[in-house]
Amino acid sequence: MKFGTMLGDLTISLFSQPSTERYPFERSEAPERLRGMLIWHPEDCIGCGLCAKDCPAGALDVIVLDKESKKYQLRYYPDRCTFCAQCVYSCRQGCLEMSNEIWELAALDRSMFDIIFGDCLENG
Amino acid sequence: MGSTTIKDVLLSLIALLIFPGGLFLLFVGLAYEWIDRKLLARMQNRVGPRWFQPLADTIKLLAKEEVVPDAVDASLFIGLPIVALAGVLTAAIYMPFPGLPPVGSFPGDLIVTVFLLSLVTICLGLAGANTLDRFSLVGATRALTQLFAYEAPFLLALLGPAFVAGSWEISEIIGYTDGRWLLITQPFGFIVAVIGLIGKLEIPPLDAPEAETEIVAGALTEYSGRGLALFRLGKGVALVLGLTLIAAFYLGGVATPLLFLAKTLVLLLVIVGIHALFTRLRIDQTVGLWWRYGTLLVLVQWLGIIIWQGVMI
Amino acid sequence: MSEVGKRETFTIPIGPQHPALKEPEHFLISVDGEIVTDVVVRLGYAHRGIEKAVESRTWVQSLYMLERICGICSHIHAMAFCLGVEQLAGVEIPPRAQAIRVIVAEIERIHSHLLWLGVSAHEAGFDTLFMYSWRDREKIMDLLEGLSGNRVNYSVNVLGGVKYDIDGAQETAIREAISFLEERTRHYLEVVTKDALFLQRTRGIGVMTRSQAEVLGTVGPTARASNVYRDIRVEAPYAVYDKYPARIILDNRGDLEARFFVRITELFESYRLIMEILETLPDGDLSTRIPRRINAGETVSRVEAPRGELFYFIKSNGSDIPERIRARTPTICNMMSVVKLLVGHQLADVPMMLAGIDPCFSCNDRMVVLNRGRNKERLLTWEALRQYGIDYYKRRSA
Repeated sequence: MKFGTMLGDLTISLFSQPSTERYPFERSEAPERLRGMLIWHPEDCIGCGLCAKDCPAGALDVIVLDKESKKYQLRYYPDRCTFCAQCVYSCRQGCLEMSNEIWELAALDRSMFDIIFGDCLENG
Repeated sequence: MGSTTIKDVLLSLIALLIFPGGLFLLFVGLAYEWIDRKLLARMQNRVGPRWFQPLADTIKLLAKEEVVPDAVDASLFIGLPIVALAGVLTAAIYMPFPGLPPVGSFPGDLIVTVFLLSLVTICLGLAGANTLDRFSLVGATRALTQLFAYEAPFLLALLGPAFVAGSWEISEIIGYTDGRWLLITQPFGFIVAVIGLIGKLEIPPLDAPEAETEIVAGALTEYSGRGLALFRLGKGVALVLGLTLIAAFYLGGVATPLLFLAKTLVLLLVIVGIHALFTRLRIDQTVGLWWRYGTLLVLVQWLGIIIWQGVMI
Repeated sequence: MSEVGKRETFTIPIGPQHPALKEPEHFLISVDGEIVTDVVVRLGYAHRGIEKAVESRTWVQSLYMLERICGICSHIHAMAFCLGVEQLAGVEIPPRAQAIRVIVAEIERIHSHLLWLGVSAHEAGFDTLFMYSWRDREKIMDLLEGLSGNRVNYSVNVLGGVKYDIDGAQETAIREAISFLEERTRHYLEVVTKDALFLQRTRGIGVMTRSQAEVLGTVGPTARASNVYRDIRVEAPYAVYDKYPARIILDNRGDLEARFFVRITELFESYRLIMEILETLPDGDLSTRIPRRINAGETVSRVEAPRGELFYFIKSNGSDIPERIRARTPTICNMMSVVKLLVGHQLADVPMMLAGIDPCFSCNDRMVVLNRGRNKERLLTWEALRQYGIDYYKRRSA
């Protein structure tokens, strides 16, 4: 039986910096494997559509523009995405990756949640 | 009727409404609430609120609509917070605050002050009992139960210094305690007084009446808007007054504003430490604590004082 | 007192919205003064129909759906499902994948127990312990984020293996975090077993005897705190638990203090397991191919979640969509013990005793149909069911 078993912790904390991360003001680096926004590299895409088929949230659509010349677009809805990375795992060609830099995806404008990779207006 | 009278009246009004009573006291209450929250946060390794947070809370609450629930006595519902705040502000008249002589005083004002401080709790209990909300009812029952438990030991603990000073008038007691650290001669009385203040303000670990995880906000569950703001302001002022009383009685007086600040803040640090260190007591444990240990301690203290006085004579 | 001399009961509703419960569930507590005389529990506020939903998703998609049954023990749900499906498909997954699954499962157990420690301390009004245990839990969250890229639904599992490897940097990070946490855990064990005021709220409260624990069908740490020898990791070892046996922590007191003791001591056990597996982590692939259509058949998969036994029944009809999946989560097993034991305790003990079983209400809310005595089967079309619902509520409001 003791009283005030946490006195040591209190004294140490009182004279040290809070352990809270002051996020919007100070940003620590995101870990390398962080699953942020999906990025598509169209070079190797064969349009198999496995990513869209396996997506548990229905956040991906593969749009076939021209099968002959292997022109595809990937339609991505970040608001539906659950960031599970199954598409990255499913893609045999290694065309997909999840960014560890773009992860602050909140937006006021719904158009931010409907991204078409491979479109001429891509960087919208 | 001369010009001096008008001047006196004006000065009294200023003393009551602006400084050192009234408005000034409200802001000091908010400041102390902030210090309380900030210290607790830092002890728990958190950042804590910014300095204007209590003020912002109060302004927000005052601006909000006050929802008066069905099946309550509306006048009582609205009136009780006002009475509570008025009570503590009245108590401030007899206080050496902040290090200045009291605005008014008369023999026996110590008793009046202690009971004006209790008015907050009584108002809280009534406010809870006024509504049909189950959490409020349980909270009100607990608040009043706790009041009956700590009130007698707390009063006895404050009467210790009064007894040795030979007066029940706060200004005279302070005159006696100035420079005399009664903490050394009456340690038990000091402990009981500090814990009594914690119970009075329902600060954890003695916060069973408003135990968040059991009964939401206790007696204040139905309060929103202005009523809640006034109760919170009242508690902030009561905190300052309680700290002042104990610092003045036990810690060698609060003769100057600087001494006042230093001593009340040290006391506040102790209270926050107790808040952070201990688990909430159940209401039966709280009552047991007071009647088993609190009362006993303060009686031992009184026995000591009486014997000492007898020896001196 | 009413005329017939029967006392009117004063009831206090805890939930569905209440600060003590972070999830919606309803407990109607009758009290006499401060003493609880009766408890009525009503579950189902967070029923999400996940079991039904997976019947229209592919096996791969179902994995992520089931992972979201529980936020805290997401990995173990996915793991139970994967183990079952791999068994049905007759696929042997690489040993390295098995080991990584177990490492993550144990990290998750640490995360869950530390979270529980904080929540229970908060219910007792000991916010300092709450803040500190959650601060230290942050190390585990960072670890999981570094390992998998996500703090909560880590999605380490895929059908046929795992997605993420533990490389040198990860290993160092895990070792560092664990040596830090070991020291902290020792401190917390001292706090919950020595602190006089905290013991006032836990010692002798909510005592469940061994026979009660067995009759009420409790599982996991709740049962182990009542000296019931029950842990799936030991009784029916899965993944690599046969090579790295876990030790069962028991306590015969059965009160809240025992539950604190058991859970915190289990943390040391998890630390030891993780270290041992890391020492001898087998080399090899992370995953193996698994067919999209799973062989027809049914199987049962049992794993030890942080809260107790997690049970999966999986039935396949040979297509790429599950025929039926049934999950039984530990909270539903433990729930009745709370209802039973609360009677006679003080109102102030209610939140602590509820937290004592480490409840997860959204896991808990499953569809149960009692058709006893009616023996009437009906098949309803979607339209008819909708109409039935409308009529039902009309009747009720009338």
